[in-house]
Amino acid sequence: MAKPSPYRTAAKIAWRETRASSGRFLFVILAVAAGVGSLTGVRGFSQAFHTVLQRDARGFMAADMTVRTFQLPDAKQLATMDSLAALGVRRTQITETLTMASPGPDAAPLLVSVKAVDPDAYPFYGTVSLNPPGNLRTVLQPDALAVSDGVLLRLNKKLGDTVRIGGLPFRLAAEITNEPDKMTGSLNVGLRVMMSRAGLERTGLIIPGSRAAERFLFKLPPTQSIAAVRAELQKVFAEGLIADYTEAHPLIEQGLRQSTTFLSLVSLVALVIGALGVATAIQAHLQQKMDSIAVMKCLGAKSSQILRIYLIQTAGLGLVGGVIGIAVGSLVQMVFPVFLEKYFQVSNVPRFDALSALQGLLVGLLTVLLFTVPPLLGIRKIRPALIFRREMAAPRRTVGQWLRDALEPVISAVVILAFVGLIAAWLSDNARTGRYFAFAIAGAMVALSIVAWVLLKLLRIVGRNLPRAAGPELRQGIANLYRPGNHAGAAVMALGVGVMFTLTIWIVQRGLLKDIIRTAPPGMPNVYLLDITAASKDAVYNLLEKQSGLEGKPEMIGAVSATIQSVDGTPLVREKLQGMARRYARTVTVSTAAVEPPFTQVLSGAWWAPNAHPAEAQLSVGDQAARLLNVHVGSKIAWTTPQRTFSSTVVAIHKSESVRLSARIEFFFTAGALDGLPAIYYGGVRAAPKFVPGLQKALYESFPTVTVINMAEVLDTIQGIVDQISVVVRFISFFSILAGAVILASSVAGTRFRRIREVVILKTLGATRRRIARIFSVEFFVIGTVAGLMGGLLAVGFAWAVLNRLLRANAPPDFMALGLAVFGTALLAVVTGWAASYRTLGQKPLEILRDE
Amino acid sequence: MTDAIQIPSTGVPIPPPSIIEIVHLTRTIDTPSHRVEILRGIDLAIPKGQFAAIMGPSGSGKSTLLGLLAGLDSATTGQVLLDGVDITGLTEDQMAEVRGRKIGFVFQSFQLIPTLTAEENVLLPAELAGVGAENAQRARDLLHRVGLSQRLDHYPVQLSGGEQQRVALARAFVTKPPILLADEPTGNLDGKTGQQVLELLLELNRIEGTTLVLVTHDPALAAHADRIITLRDGLIASDVLKANQN
Repeated sequence: MAKPSPYRTAAKIAWRETRASSGRFLFVILAVAAGVGSLTGVRGFSQAFHTVLQRDARGFMAADMTVRTFQLPDAKQLATMDSLAALGVRRTQITETLTMASPGPDAAPLLVSVKAVDPDAYPFYGTVSLNPPGNLRTVLQPDALAVSDGVLLRLNKKLGDTVRIGGLPFRLAAEITNEPDKMTGSLNVGLRVMMSRAGLERTGLIIPGSRAAERFLFKLPPTQSIAAVRAELQKVFAEGLIADYTEAHPLIEQGLRQSTTFLSLVSLVALVIGALGVATAIQAHLQQKMDSIAVMKCLGAKSSQILRIYLIQTAGLGLVGGVIGIAVGSLVQMVFPVFLEKYFQVSNVPRFDALSALQGLLVGLLTVLLFTVPPLLGIRKIRPALIFRREMAAPRRTVGQWLRDALEPVISAVVILAFVGLIAAWLSDNARTGRYFAFAIAGAMVALSIVAWVLLKLLRIVGRNLPRAAGPELRQGIANLYRPGNHAGAAVMALGVGVMFTLTIWIVQRGLLKDIIRTAPPGMPNVYLLDITAASKDAVYNLLEKQSGLEGKPEMIGAVSATIQSVDGTPLVREKLQGMARRYARTVTVSTAAVEPPFTQVLSGAWWAPNAHPAEAQLSVGDQAARLLNVHVGSKIAWTTPQRTFSSTVVAIHKSESVRLSARIEFFFTAGALDGLPAIYYGGVRAAPKFVPGLQKALYESFPTVTVINMAEVLDTIQGIVDQISVVVRFISFFSILAGAVILASSVAGTRFRRIREVVILKTLGATRRRIARIFSVEFFVIGTVAGLMGGLLAVGFAWAVLNRLLRANAPPDFMALGLAVFGTALLAVVTGWAASYRTLGQKPLEILRDE
Repeated sequence: MTDAIQIPSTGVPIPPPSIIEIVHLTRTIDTPSHRVEILRGIDLAIPKGQFAAIMGPSGSGKSTLLGLLAGLDSATTGQVLLDGVDITGLTEDQMAEVRGRKIGFVFQSFQLIPTLTAEENVLLPAELAGVGAENAQRARDLLHRVGLSQRLDHYPVQLSGGEQQRVALARAFVTKPPILLADEPTGNLDGKTGQQVLELLLELNRIEGTTLVLVTHDPALAAHADRIITLRDGLIASDVLKANQN
């Protein structure tokens, strides 16, 4: 009879062994499931979202192709677009801008995001859903609006009521429940108000220089080549963003790729922690199995045979954990649309992506196997003579053996790190990211291990020297940490990594928002005014000055749109510019300043004399623009505008306080240099918060087309977006805490038999359940506190470094977060510890003692 | 029990060939503070089919000798020949193969795998040798012979000490090893159970024709052996062949 495959025999023995210890392996499976779940969820959703973007690309764009620009089209552009009509290409225009909507004379107006469409053509694909159900063509009369539910709520209005935009009344005709191209829109800061183009004409909101985005939607006949139309449009829209349905939306795709990479790496952290936990659990398992392994060797098993058994067992556990992880991942995948629904309305997102699931499973399995190889290799060192005399198994090692033994873990660590780096490189599609990730993980692990070791060592010394008055519970609880087989260090480290990671993200998020609010210098405007015409600027300024509650003089600055033609005779060509410098190839905003604007510092050269009117315009350039364009004092810059071209000489390089209105302008000219060019003015003023609604109302009454932005509302919006992002990141990084908790539970469950014995002996000696519970609670509490303190301290340090060094914010260390981390982790550890060991308390002493 | 071979021409009996031969075996252990000489030069030959009992006080080197016989530990000097093959130079894996083919074990503390049932424990050596399927029936027969046919699916923890040792006996014989090594097989059992296990061991040994080397403190147990070898301070203090043996 042919010998059975050695793998089959090993698998059979592995199965028997696992079957009898299934409870113990539950935690191993959960640890793998946590890591694989988060990874599969992130990548699955990303893939599903990508699929939806591709599938519904026309719907998301409401067109086959779009051109977005922040200027009104010139004659050449219009002619090109008109010529496309001859090819059967249909076109419609959308204008998006921010403005104020007033509910009535008694209430403050609301900042809204206007979208003006031609309801006869828009949308080419997809539908705008309205409540009550209706057709956009019939609803969007020139005096009617369709609005989001937020507008009704904030303005305290109902359908049928009237609001004023640009000073004119509009009827609230319907509520928008779905807008196909919402995510490809341009200005989504305010609440949505949709009107017809005829309605927009009525308001007079759009004048040359207004802050508005123009989007042209094209529908091509089926026979028309996308590339050909695109090429035609590219010729005339050098600054426009052209997109077609074949690439969905490049910005969203790019954002999706970057988010997926980041969240995948966060998931990989959870997976690595999980794998560490599995390795710890397998090591504990093998320690308990030493006798069995020695017996098997006595019975004729080779090391390779036994290794095969435990390798198959580990792979099996990894596989089961991975499969459960895939199920968890599909739940995670379902949660993502909830996070995003405020910004993207995606329907029918596939709930399962087979490729991501397979990738997650493979990464999970490989990670687990690799991390468990070092403890598994220990099987070779278990000598069968252990059965007879344990001391016989420990002969003196030669230097060569010692070196070999010492080299093994080092090689294992290097191989594991290289593997983690490769996985990270694959997930991020970037070899450098992979390298950094591997080093960061190694650094964090080493730092945490050292801190954990030091803290536990110190605690041991403290525990041994505790006065009698401290009570037996405290002393024994601390002593329990050093129980043989109790992987307190591993549990502390695993939990600590999770805490460190999640807390760092939280502190950075909080720190950034606090920094924005705190670093605003005194007198910085908290109300901004947009789109003030030259004709009304003085009247607006006068009105502003008369308002109550002002905490400083209003600032006002005029801006003209112009394009740099050449610098020192060299034409400025976008293709020749690198990185940030490319933005200067587009239209830039310039202004005049007779005198040096406040909060501005001249770095080189000198500002011109007041009332200077040189024959050739002179200008001062902001330091960043000067650096990127390689401009210095004496440089010649030639400009072009739709009205005229002119040249200028740089006489100064300046720096503005970034929060000031003047910082929005990087090019200041001598007075009169921009005469005759259409200018739009911006204003800023600092007012006590309670006077801001009154100020908004007063401005609206007199100047309904001026947009007034209350910074408090903008900060709320920023906070909302930052919160939303950080919730997603925290949600994924939470899996690393979960993996840490699972490891703690696994470690506690691994010492179950020792715990039962202790409980029994303590009960026999007269200890009550309550007293034993206190002893165990002290142990779990200490593990949680040490992990929380360690992870928290490192998080505070990392976050401080990220905020102050990387993001250049000015945030002090967040010790409140540290306190919360210590408390939260201690609580989590106590709950987890008891969840894994509560049954031990109920053991009857006699059953256990009789068994012995 | 041992068959002596008669040479017809001379009539001088010569001993049957030795299945175990030990040549000047020593074993020393170096601890950080001193050197311990456990075996100090043992020469011994055990013929095929013989039942040899090794006795001696604690620390005399009995278990070490048994371990070296099974290749579980390496000798410092000297040779161990099993069936004429020197096992002292074999690698760990080669030695494991030799154990799988030639040696059965019975331990004082049974050493059953706690996660396997009685039947699975018995079958384990055969499975490790890749002959599990052929021996499945034999495993059940052996369990039947030791009186545990009703306990096939029981785990060690569900069996009494005597029952566990009977499972261990069945396991030791499953691959029909020519040599059986037993280390205090009744040491953890009460007198009556110990006696039952011993009787089973001797009966199986007789039926299977195995060479049995048994380490014990118990003179009553040793009394059943063909030969009693007594160790003291790492040396053979006495080697007594029973009167009816040659």
